[in-house]
Amino acid sequence: MVKSSTARRLDEPLVGVEHKQPVFGGGEPPAPPVRPNAPVGSNAALAVAMFLGAEAMFFAGLIGAYIVFRVAAPIWPPPFQPRLPIGVTGVNTLILLASAVTMRWSLRAVRANDRKQLIRLLATTAALGGIFLAIQGFEWIRLIHFGLTVSSSVYGGLFYTLIGFHGLHVLGALIWLLTVFVLTQQGRFSKERHVGLQTCCMYWTFVVGLWPVLYGLIYLY
Amino acid sequence: MRQRIIFGLVSVWTAYFSMPTLAYACSVCWAGDTGPTADAFNWSVIFLMAAPYTVVGSIAGWLFYTHRRSAAKHEKKEKNETAKGLVHLTWNPKESGR
Repeated sequence: MVKSSTARRLDEPLVGVEHKQPVFGGGEPPAPPVRPNAPVGSNAALAVAMFLGAEAMFFAGLIGAYIVFRVAAPIWPPPFQPRLPIGVTGVNTLILLASAVTMRWSLRAVRANDRKQLIRLLATTAALGGIFLAIQGFEWIRLIHFGLTVSSSVYGGLFYTLIGFHGLHVLGALIWLLTVFVLTQQGRFSKERHVGLQTCCMYWTFVVGLWPVLYGLIYLY
Repeated sequence: MRQRIIFGLVSVWTAYFSMPTLAYACSVCWAGDTGPTADAFNWSVIFLMAAPYTVVGSIAGWLFYTHRRSAAKHEKKEKNETAKGLVHLTWNPKESGR
């Protein structure tokens, strides 16, 4: 025999409803504490990350084309073509890597609210980037003088396409960096708001990170 | 109509056999199965196949790292506030009289 039943008639009042009514001083508990749902990164940083992904794919296409010609060639570099300056470009690589370090430090400086140090580090980064471009330009003039042109061979065409596009990216990053530098001098960035500097730092790091790959592939391999 | 179909088929047949060079099924089939050109294409294909995964993986890794760093920073902030005696007001079963 069933002692009690959970079934009830439809017209029967609900048991204990009155206790569930909110009462002043000891009623329903408030919502449990929720961790603030702050975004982990800014939208601009995410957009730049996507843009850098597209840039990486662009360079991957160029590198893929280079691999086809490089691996298929029985002799590389082709005969009667000048050799690339490995030593000078190696030093230039170190200069560019140093610029990435100063750029990261500048991000640290803005997070520490150290404006003077930030300006100094951004100026150093821009100077190192400028030196890199100047040395590259000087080496290009020498190579053209030695007979390595875009139309001289596949070697020349690939060299100027890959290194040229990277040089253009460094130039673009340098223009961006100079803009950020001017904005920093105007006091536009603070510890809390520095997304412009952060995105510039991301782009600069990408451009610098790409260079050792290109150097190893084109100059050393 | 039937004559037209036969004429069309004969035309295609004639055009096929009168072609001066062979047509390949793909743009790189002329490289063959072995040799340096085939190796070059293979390495390039492997590289390009890996590229999207690397790119997407890098972005995902960056997001994961940023999320972890943000969460760790938030936890540290909360701990510091608790240590300083700043307790967030919240429902407490003892104080609510239940």
